[in-house]
Amino acid sequence: MRRDFLKACGLAGLGLAIPRWSFADPAPESDGAYEGPFYVVFNASGGWDTTYLMDPKGIDGINRLYQEGDILTKGEHKYAPTAKHKEGGMSNEDFYSEFGDELLVLNGLDYSVNNHSPGARYMATGKLDSLAYPTFAALVAACQGPTCPISYLTFGNYSATGNLVAMARVPYLPSLKRIANADYVDGSENWPYHDDFALNRIEQALAAQHEARGSQPLLPRLERAENMLYGSQVNSKSLARVTPYIPSEIPKERLFQQAEIALASFKAGVCVSANLTIGQFDSHANNDPDQMRLIPEFLAGIAYVMRRAEELGIRDKMVVVVQSEMGRTPEYNGGNGKDHWSIGSIMFLGRGIKGNRVIGATDEKQFHVPIDPVSLALDREKGVRVRPEHIHTALREFAGIADHPFSKKFPLDVPEKEKLQGFWG
Amino acid sequence: MTPLARIFAIVLATTILAAAAAVAQEPAPYSGRCTASVDDYFAEEVWAKIGAQTCLTCHKSGGDAEESELVLLDPQRSLGAEREDALRHNQGLLLRAALRKEGDSSYLLLKVAGGLDHGGEDVLKPDSAGYRILEEFVRRASAAENGELSATMQEDPDAPPFFDGVMMLSDRRLLRRATLSLAGRVPTGDELSVVNEGGLDALPAILDRLMEEEAFYDRLREGFNDIFLTLGYIDGAESALSYEHFSETRHWTQKHDLNHIADEGERQKARYKLADDYREALLQEPLKLVEHIVRNEKPFTEIVTADYIMVTPYTARGYGIYDELRPTFKNPDDPFEYVPVKLKALVGRDKRDDQESASGFYPHAGILSTFQYLRRYPTTETNRNRLRARMYYQHFLGVDALELAARVSDAAAVTAKYEIPTMQASECVVCHRTLDPVASLFQDYYDFDGVYGRRKEGWYQDMFQAGFEGEDMAPEERWRALQWLGERTAKDPRFATTMVEHVYYLLTGRKVLLPPKALDDPLLAAKRRAYREQRREVERIAQRFAESNFNLKVAFKEWILSDFYRADGISGGVESPERLAELDDLGVVNLLSPEQLERKVAAIFGKPWGRLDGEMAMLYGGIDSQEVTERAADPSGAMGAIQRMMANDVACENTLSDFALEPEKRRLFPQIEPDVVPGVSEEGDAKIREAIVHLHWTLLGREDAVDSAEVERSFQLFAGIVSDAQTQGDYDKREAYQCRRERDDVPSDDLYTIRAWRGVVTYLLRRQEFLYQ
Repeated sequence: MRRDFLKACGLAGLGLAIPRWSFADPAPESDGAYEGPFYVVFNASGGWDTTYLMDPKGIDGINRLYQEGDILTKGEHKYAPTAKHKEGGMSNEDFYSEFGDELLVLNGLDYSVNNHSPGARYMATGKLDSLAYPTFAALVAACQGPTCPISYLTFGNYSATGNLVAMARVPYLPSLKRIANADYVDGSENWPYHDDFALNRIEQALAAQHEARGSQPLLPRLERAENMLYGSQVNSKSLARVTPYIPSEIPKERLFQQAEIALASFKAGVCVSANLTIGQFDSHANNDPDQMRLIPEFLAGIAYVMRRAEELGIRDKMVVVVQSEMGRTPEYNGGNGKDHWSIGSIMFLGRGIKGNRVIGATDEKQFHVPIDPVSLALDREKGVRVRPEHIHTALREFAGIADHPFSKKFPLDVPEKEKLQGFWG
Repeated sequence: MTPLARIFAIVLATTILAAAAAVAQEPAPYSGRCTASVDDYFAEEVWAKIGAQTCLTCHKSGGDAEESELVLLDPQRSLGAEREDALRHNQGLLLRAALRKEGDSSYLLLKVAGGLDHGGEDVLKPDSAGYRILEEFVRRASAAENGELSATMQEDPDAPPFFDGVMMLSDRRLLRRATLSLAGRVPTGDELSVVNEGGLDALPAILDRLMEEEAFYDRLREGFNDIFLTLGYIDGAESALSYEHFSETRHWTQKHDLNHIADEGERQKARYKLADDYREALLQEPLKLVEHIVRNEKPFTEIVTADYIMVTPYTARGYGIYDELRPTFKNPDDPFEYVPVKLKALVGRDKRDDQESASGFYPHAGILSTFQYLRRYPTTETNRNRLRARMYYQHFLGVDALELAARVSDAAAVTAKYEIPTMQASECVVCHRTLDPVASLFQDYYDFDGVYGRRKEGWYQDMFQAGFEGEDMAPEERWRALQWLGERTAKDPRFATTMVEHVYYLLTGRKVLLPPKALDDPLLAAKRRAYREQRREVERIAQRFAESNFNLKVAFKEWILSDFYRADGISGGVESPERLAELDDLGVVNLLSPEQLERKVAAIFGKPWGRLDGEMAMLYGGIDSQEVTERAADPSGAMGAIQRMMANDVACENTLSDFALEPEKRRLFPQIEPDVVPGVSEEGDAKIREAIVHLHWTLLGREDAVDSAEVERSFQLFAGIVSDAQTQGDYDKREAYQCRRERDDVPSDDLYTIRAWRGVVTYLLRRQEFLYQ
């Protein structure tokens, strides 16, 4: 019944989170750690000014803090100088110096909309006109780590799951510590609630009850709930593995805190993907001071993740996506701010991504320039407008989940001839 | 989706086929009312986004195009069946135009693009979002005419009833679900007896009484905060009262005379408490308005029309009106005694901040004009109140303007090309023509730091001016613009359906279904049926709600008695993917929120767990009304760990202490003692099984037979733990220290049965029936 049901779910698109085990299978050993790759999606929430980072202009009044001649390069990258203007965080100069060789940039991304909410949804899922689609981070977690206790970790921004996987919010490191030893009073291993034999009996009874429910006809929604609940409790035991990786001192910076939670979870093998985010990029007033405060903070967060991942020995398993839901206009408004602009950029680095590359472009007025999807060269006449669905199609292929039933349940419908070839190098 | 007319039942293919058959090759004149239903796509896309916004401007009686063949009716001007008639009339006319050919092209598409001497010229650009909607309309109409949609779009006329084979909750279990959900308690013995005798018919009277309990109003406020999120406004509770208008009074707690408290430390503590209570009272004001309306069974339309706010003795001091209100309060020292009050027009520190008011009073418009609601959804120079307009549509008319934002072929180019894209570029106009007039209605609430304040330069002229759904607001109404909006909202049929949808959310923890969109989905017909059946129920309840003079309690009762709330299982295996898709969303099956779980523990055990607050609540999928605004629907592993903690802890706290009570006072074990050991006698085993039946009902709401597999499983768990302990031999003869604490008045556990019962309770607390509703 259960197997048939799951088969039917695939057809019906019921949105079941299907762990590797099913009612008919024994529950997994809870110490089966997920070993990577680990996916981190950084979100600059509010809309970043790409001309102050990876798509510098310095002409026609687009940037007040530098001129075209001030633009810097690192290998194939061109970037805006920010060392003299930043408030805290990491300058572009330092960021490119450290990561330029492994950084892949796509400029001229067509966000297609000018509003935060649909823009964030589109960038997170690759689908503009649906509320049902999962974010890439949720999708890859569901496909690659359905039994991980906090497979998909999110700290904000658009986080829909498509009912494929539970979303975990762990806002504070200490709270993770507190729940890691749930079968002990106050988490102390000296004080178990139950004797071992009693706890084993309880677990066996729950497994038997779960099995019995699976053989009964249930409403789909109830069957899904039973399955998710049982999985969450069984898998939660492996949370205890996280505690050794929780640092004794908690950093103050907001992205650093998120990074520590994500990295501890990665290292413990209980997490596949994490959505890291900071807001306030929506610089309608005083664009330059805002962006000079936030872009460096953002870059420092990315650098922190990579350095800490190195320390933890998982850097070579990291895949990092760096994005925002929109760009900023080429011109300043009356309040020295910049309004929403539907053209922008996205960056990637990490395992399997060939760096020191820039694909796509905007023109001198910050309009999109189409590219040839095969050669990835600019092609103003016959090229395609690269939109989030193109990026997400490439991401799914990169992660090896393009043919997974979950991905097929949420198709992106990019024509074959528009798919980006050799995007990852 | 922009569900302009969710109120209508929809049968897409039959509609189109019926209309198409009527026009055939040579369209016959439309002959008035036909039997076809209004099509979903037509109502929500074609009419909502183009017909009502663009065509109706001229193509109506009295309009510039009233002499044309296309004279449309305005559905907004009618209610109920008449409104559906108007939409049906419009659908018929536009279908004819869609199917009519001029060469190879659709007459309708040529006209809107400015062809065929269209008097309105090109109202839609061929690459615009609106045009694409019409293209899709034409495509669907043509496909229906050719019979190509039959496989996926048509409803099977021979399909069995929707609820065929679906089992409903027993009346007792339904009662338990309702009491736990609405009042955070289990049913009383009397209530169970009444339902045992009277069945479902006895339930409404019980629900009426239930909805008079204080706990119901706690849940009501909590649920409506999930929707309005007013608790989440930033900069502190006092920031709702602007510096410009309340600078002398809003921080009254800092100067309040507490000299009667001699000790300085105690005095400081009292001042902190004063401030905390004041802040809490301020935060709760909008939700107390919801409560006041429902408690007094006032028309729920007052949520947008009430000409008062709710204040307490503490918040009245913040407004500076305490002295005049003092006689109104039963207890002037009660921070949370709310009474309805009409504020006078605001007086500023500076004369230019004085509020214009023809009546001399603040123009209250229910929650819309509360300072807290306005603070929660603030404006900016570029946003121009559009966030407020968007939230207004979402909260009160069920329209999410950004849900399915139209793709613009080149948004950047459009932005650059037009001087005022929101008024000139058709891609933008489609939505802004609806949103911006409502945004302009909020124009007097334009203070970025406070709430009330007019824009110094006068309101923006480069956006659509104040109005609502095509009706302009007269300039003399400006001082009461939100009241003007509230009056129209209350009359809008979408208001009733939206409130009924809110009640559904409160009861089930999720939103109603959206219409399925994927036209090539092989299960489209099944999904459409599921949507349509639920839609019908929403509309039925909305009708009852409206007939009851918008008494929200009626909506609660109707939902609770409906098959959608009572559905609990299926009678046999379902293999058909189509049927599974139909049943996909059926059944409440809602993971309890942190607050609900605490209440359930309190209801069953007499006291809450007490640990699901603050960070732990957030970790358990709670919301903070600010950054995290949606509750977790499924448990993560972290939540699974919390469930295990809760089960361990609550069982530990309550098992031994229950046995320590006199049997008649026990909640969990009234019919069994720790000296009854399994496997010793048939009588003893029977007692144990009876005790398990009681536990299953008390903790899970299950009505299991003594000889059922479920009871057997719990019995085996109990017996297995006791047996293991005996095998172990050397065990402590007392319950574990952490579960008995310092108490001496508790029984010993020589036989390990108390710990075994604790194991059973732990097992039951981890189950779906306990953790979900």
